[in-house]
Amino acid sequence: MNKFIIYVVSSLLVVVIAMTVMDIVYTKIYENSYPRTKFQYLRSFKDKKIDFIFIGSSRVENGIVPSIIFDKTNKKVVNFGFQAAKLNDIYTILQLIKNYNIHYEKIFIQVDYIYNIVDGHSNIFQYEMVPFIRENEITKAYSNRFSLNPIADYYIPFYRYCSNDLKIGFREVFANIINKNTKIIQQRGFGALQGNSIKLGGLLPDKIVNRNTVFDSIHSFCKNNNMNVVYYCAPFCLENKNKEFIVKLKSKIPELVDFSNAIIENKLFVNCNHLNEAGAKRFTEIFTDSLLLK
Amino acid sequence: MLFNSISFLLFLPVVFVIYWWANKRSLQLQNLLLLVASYFFYACWDWRFLFLLLFSTALDYFTGIKMEEAKNETNKKRWFWLSIIVNIGFLGIFKYYNFFADSFAEALSGIGIHTNFWTLKVILPVGISFYTFHGLSYVIDIYKGRIKAEKNIITYSLFVGYFPLLVAGPIERATHLLPQIKKKREFNYALAIDGLHQIIWGLFKKVVIADSCALYANNIFDNYQSMNSLSLVLGALYFSFQIYGDFSGYSDIAIGTSKLFGIDLLRNFNYPYFSRDIAEFWRRWHISLTTWFRDYLYIPIGGSKGGLKMKVRNTFIIFLVSGFWHGANWTFIVWGALNALYFLPLLINQNNRNNLDSVAKGKLLPTVKEFMSMLFTFSLTAFAWIFFRAKTVSEACSYIKKMFEFNFQGKSQFLDFERYTVEPLLLLLVFIIFEWNSREKEHPVSGKFVVFKAIAVIIAILIFGTYSNPTNFIYFQF
Repeated sequence: MNKFIIYVVSSLLVVVIAMTVMDIVYTKIYENSYPRTKFQYLRSFKDKKIDFIFIGSSRVENGIVPSIIFDKTNKKVVNFGFQAAKLNDIYTILQLIKNYNIHYEKIFIQVDYIYNIVDGHSNIFQYEMVPFIRENEITKAYSNRFSLNPIADYYIPFYRYCSNDLKIGFREVFANIINKNTKIIQQRGFGALQGNSIKLGGLLPDKIVNRNTVFDSIHSFCKNNNMNVVYYCAPFCLENKNKEFIVKLKSKIPELVDFSNAIIENKLFVNCNHLNEAGAKRFTEIFTDSLLLK
Repeated sequence: MLFNSISFLLFLPVVFVIYWWANKRSLQLQNLLLLVASYFFYACWDWRFLFLLLFSTALDYFTGIKMEEAKNETNKKRWFWLSIIVNIGFLGIFKYYNFFADSFAEALSGIGIHTNFWTLKVILPVGISFYTFHGLSYVIDIYKGRIKAEKNIITYSLFVGYFPLLVAGPIERATHLLPQIKKKREFNYALAIDGLHQIIWGLFKKVVIADSCALYANNIFDNYQSMNSLSLVLGALYFSFQIYGDFSGYSDIAIGTSKLFGIDLLRNFNYPYFSRDIAEFWRRWHISLTTWFRDYLYIPIGGSKGGLKMKVRNTFIIFLVSGFWHGANWTFIVWGALNALYFLPLLINQNNRNNLDSVAKGKLLPTVKEFMSMLFTFSLTAFAWIFFRAKTVSEACSYIKKMFEFNFQGKSQFLDFERYTVEPLLLLLVFIIFEWNSREKEHPVSGKFVVFKAIAVIIAILIFGTYSNPTNFIYFQF
């Protein structure tokens, strides 16, 4: 029996060692390879200078084309929009911009119905951050708040890669090793959507929350750190119901630049909240002309 | 409690340590501990159905004794049929009631009579098909005079409810398991180590092969209407490996776990996809069920004795019942019938016992003929699995029709996960090579360099395992 127990304990030791080694290897690969995810892309700007940074949800990722702004203004632009990002994600990105010592001229933050969401977060931003949760206090705090098993993710080696295996497991690591590029990074964070829907639908909230504490945190964080920030609202299709929500939003954020009605043709949308590639190009031109070339 | 869950990872060592500590005291204590652990294991799923298990156990225990004590054949027969009817009755109510009610209503509506049968929302008690078959084999063996009735209720209860085989087999025989339960077990280092290695291999098959294939198979079967022909072929291939990895992986974990407690269970799989004909496949796939049907159904109804008509009839009966055993759906019945059709040419030409030995025994590679035979048998099997996997017979037919349209346009293997065809196929190729090289052993993590093999498999489980999308063992639903 003793011999068996020794064998089992040795096997467990092998498992723990293997998990520790693989955790280190995977993390090093994610840290040092050419960026494939948006989060890696964000990290890649450590100590670098960019002129304009765009932050927000998929309405930023799919709606702002950095190359167009560069062509018109000769300014370096990155699109840090994350799919399904909420104010919590935006706040974390702002903190990371400071932590990574990224220099910039101006940050544009897209705010719309996400103002009504206090507790939400983006799953995509979360899993893309997983390899870096031990990197600093900001990522650790985000993981503690939104991960299903924050303690296991943080303290059990390799657990985080197993629990997110479909997203950041072996396949993604291998793609990082061979430097397999992603289109979105080649386009400086812009991801184009194709097609257009005949029935766009769309429904904004009929009420606005009295106060969003996360937005207050963002506001004071930017103020305290002298961040040059512009809030704007990206276009919605005309069919969208409860458009008066944007008026209510403006009452909460008076400095909000409203582009919600900037695009009126349905053919430039894939759905009521998201522009297609042609719509994104049109909107970026409108945005540049009205805010960056003045 | 799933074999691939954290709770089982905690449960197993605790039971193992207490069990071998109890071993020093008495056999009764050893068996009682295993029984309590087994009932706890079962109650973790749904404690209410524990009473059903207890009732089924008590019924067969008492009818077994009553049959033995019966003074005449009539009394003996009475007790025998009581057990058979109640056992099958429970199975019928919990597993087949809705199927019969729906099918009957549909049949009547076909001739213009519209009825509104009660469709009960019956939850299928996990493992009912397995423990019912344990009990049935025990009662039949006593009736036939093959064994004596077990007088010790703990011993008998453990035979029915032993946790490694309680929910999905292997389906044990009283003649094989009871003698082991009645004998005090001594710790056997070699057996325990082998059990541990078999558990590791079973986990690999479940977490790496079955769950990875499930991602693709589920996506293809759920969206088959928008998939092209090649994708549908791949869907059948992935499901074939999903069900093999899932069920044989489960069996390996069950058998390996039992070895840790010094109890040897019946082998359930013997590399079935290396079969050269369908008869060989059925000697290697779900062996404990196949032999159960052979001994308790096929032989009693005449087996291969009699004329060709009898043989054909008996073959169809056994395959149809086997299909129906799997679930209350016409898809399983069609799957069974299809396998019977595959089997018929071998039976008629008396070729069904041609391939009794392992393929290419002692050789590195098979001959071209052997390879082609294996490929053909696998293709037939994979084709039949389409019925097994589909929700309805018409869905299966539609899937097959699209598969044979040879349309290579449209959505192919590029699925939601942005995974490509080549990756799972490479994984399967490595798996097949590993199994091929071990086809004369019970499981691949044995023989030379066993420690290195075990480490390699553990690392493979960690790297290639699918954890964020775990699936239940398929056979739990049966």
